[in-house]
Amino acid sequence: MTTPPTPFVVGLDVDGAGTHPAATTVAGISPADLVSAARLARTVRRAENAGVTFATFADALLPAVAGSPGSARLDAVTRAAFVSRTTTAIGLVPQVPTTYPEPFHVAAQLASLDIAAAGRGGWLAATTRTPETAAAYGREPADDLAREARDVVQVVRDLWDSWEDDAVIRDVATGRYVDRDRLHHVDFVGETFSVKGPLITPRPPQGQLVVLAAAGDVAPSVRDEPLVDVALVGGPDVASARAAARAAAAPASGAADSAARAVVDLEVVLDADGRPAGARLAELDAAAPAGARTDWGAGALRYAGDAPGLAALLGELAASGDVAGVRLLPAVLDVDLPALARDVLPALRAARLTAAPRAGATLRETLGLPRPANRYDTRYDTGHREARHAAPRAAATA
Amino acid sequence: MTTPTTPPHAPAAPIVRPHAQVHFGVFFQGVNHTTIWSDPESGSQTDLASFERVVRTAERGLFDAFFLGEGLRLRETRGRIHDLDVVGRPDAITQLAALAAITQRIGLVATQNTTYHDPAELARRLASLDVLSGGRAAWNVVTTDNAWTGENFRRGGYLDHTDRYERAAAVLAVARGVWDAFPDDLAGDVARVSVPGADLRTPRDLALDVSTPRSPQGHPVIFQAGDSPQGRDFAAAHADVIFSRHGAVLADALEFAADVRRRVVAAGRPGDDVKIFPGTAIVVGDTPAEAEEKARWVRRAQVTPATALSIVGNIWGEDLSSYDPDGPLPAHDPVVAELGGERGSATTGARTHEVARQWRALAEAENLSIRELVVRNAGERGFTGTPGAVADALTRWVRAGAVDGFNLSPWIVPSGLDDVVEKVVPALQERGAYPTAYEGTTLREHLGLREPLTRRARGRSAAVDADSEPTLVPTP
Repeated sequence: MTTPPTPFVVGLDVDGAGTHPAATTVAGISPADLVSAARLARTVRRAENAGVTFATFADALLPAVAGSPGSARLDAVTRAAFVSRTTTAIGLVPQVPTTYPEPFHVAAQLASLDIAAAGRGGWLAATTRTPETAAAYGREPADDLAREARDVVQVVRDLWDSWEDDAVIRDVATGRYVDRDRLHHVDFVGETFSVKGPLITPRPPQGQLVVLAAAGDVAPSVRDEPLVDVALVGGPDVASARAAARAAAAPASGAADSAARAVVDLEVVLDADGRPAGARLAELDAAAPAGARTDWGAGALRYAGDAPGLAALLGELAASGDVAGVRLLPAVLDVDLPALARDVLPALRAARLTAAPRAGATLRETLGLPRPANRYDTRYDTGHREARHAAPRAAATA
Repeated sequence: MTTPTTPPHAPAAPIVRPHAQVHFGVFFQGVNHTTIWSDPESGSQTDLASFERVVRTAERGLFDAFFLGEGLRLRETRGRIHDLDVVGRPDAITQLAALAAITQRIGLVATQNTTYHDPAELARRLASLDVLSGGRAAWNVVTTDNAWTGENFRRGGYLDHTDRYERAAAVLAVARGVWDAFPDDLAGDVARVSVPGADLRTPRDLALDVSTPRSPQGHPVIFQAGDSPQGRDFAAAHADVIFSRHGAVLADALEFAADVRRRVVAAGRPGDDVKIFPGTAIVVGDTPAEAEEKARWVRRAQVTPATALSIVGNIWGEDLSSYDPDGPLPAHDPVVAELGGERGSATTGARTHEVARQWRALAEAENLSIRELVVRNAGERGFTGTPGAVADALTRWVRAGAVDGFNLSPWIVPSGLDDVVEKVVPALQERGAYPTAYEGTTLREHLGLREPLTRRARGRSAAVDADSEPTLVPTP
């Protein structure tokens, strides 16, 4: 087996009680514990100690089950920022929707997360399909989610570059704190909104946070600029997940995530506490609330079985060369994470398939992604400015 | 002359609360010309290390709160980004969440604008900070109407000046609904929030289900900073704390406090229900002369020649950078009549001709240059003296009923709070006028506040339909 140039990526979703819609019920976690700072810090610390590359924080404005205290959940960026000071190595990737929030706020919040986390920030750019969310914002439901996602990711990337790295000059002789020529109005005009810029927050430590998105969620850039760094793919079986990964990473596909690394979303139910995975899953499915808004079973690859089988599957995916890594979606965090940490991840590290992130490394460094040049820095010809002005769009109708 | 008047020591006022304690907050401003960036002691305005140092110093000094501002567009001067002041700051709630992880007691106050945040999302983010910090979050409610800031947002400049407090009340109604939605025992159903006409742009009602439980303090504490009659009435009806501008002259602060209490009582609340924390600054020295000398140095460093010309140029509406900062004010009148929001909320709407007339009269009376005039104007703010003298003055202000505490702006980051914590706090403690330990764990406890407004009348029931909360629903 050849060792890949960058270690195989192992992400983990750390939201709530686990990814399965019945995780809270079956694990018997109270709503207060579910959202407690102690539980949050403990879970992400466990993931970091297990050598996990990055943690995602699944989120949505509305609860999974309306009216249920068991659906208690806190804002993802706020959670990620909190654990930025209780961890030192793991990447922190909150899920933030592109569909209704203000892109200017999203850009500032994520840049601030990256500052607090010293360059370990990422963004799982999601779309929101539920019409109830539009009502919570007092708006009409969005009609083209992929196009909206494209415009939002694009302007957020522009805003992250709107301060050049050396904009703060502290020139005592002239009294100037910043060089205004290194601060840029982004003058973005999308299909449904426009943003003037620059951002209120300086350029994040990584330059650009790592952007993750489900393959197909973000429409291709009109500027031929890669918008997504890591594409999340799934499929009913390994062959189809590998095919989806090849499609997402294929440079010729013309998709916005064409240059992306492909990471397979993998639902995990392990044998644990003397109970086989199949029995655990049956119990969870039987306890699942009706009508829950959930991504469980929505298209990710699934593994239910023992730890050696999962290690073998991960080894197979790593050896295939199609896949940069996996994001593990544990059915029940408090059961499956300890099993992963004890029985699965050490074997992968021992085989040098994976490596725990180094304390102090940025998420880009951990993933082998370069720190990008600033699109507004005239010393680099990134092509982005020209492309933007070459493709003017209809004025926003706010 | 540039010697500051130090009015805090001067007037006598009757002591009405002989045992009241002084309280402190710290305002990490992030954007302004009063933070001196040119001194070698000055550190980064954005590194987490700077925030950590200030918040840890404040917590060591038993401060009630650490306070962050918000501005949603970089300030500009005649169409170009203003380049003379410190600028660039993190999103407040995100930053405070990181600081919540490294502090235990101090309150965490996020300034958030009601015009350009979506209420459901804002309420949820504040609740998230409140839960993770164990009940230490607060929201400083600010409003804006200007379309210039709106250029950064989907909705653009959609709001008329007269509607900004109506929008603020609607946003607050949604937030209270979100914060009241969970049942106390976490066992029953979470109520659905429904606020008719909450979005002033459209006739749509706002409706949502809630995922955030309450923190140990119930709701985040509500701060409010508007000084207009409308702003004061908003505070009287809705706020827990007023972040006031009346922190320089005791008589003025007493008058403001009396006015606020009248409005609070008129709003059907106990007169002491709203705490008053003026923004101010403290300069101490071992002797009165040393303190005065340091204060003079601070004011000169805050008002650089370029800053002086820029401040005067802002009122005159033109570029005065070719003027001599050590020379007189321009002989002609300002070219614009009223200021927009491009240089911040504090000067929005200023009548330039009136300001120019006052400045000219002062400059002529005291023979001041442009820079001396700006320094002179800035000087009428804050407490200067030995630690003991400053402690006496602060205590007098609180015990005379003028204020409940002070929101201090360090003039230098991150060391600007050290003198206060190392010298003034012990002097206050010697006088029995300052706590010697945190007594509670929540910000509401530190401030001595009652339960959240919507949780008193309804006796902790979980009803949230804003129809039953007429004072919070905007009139259509």
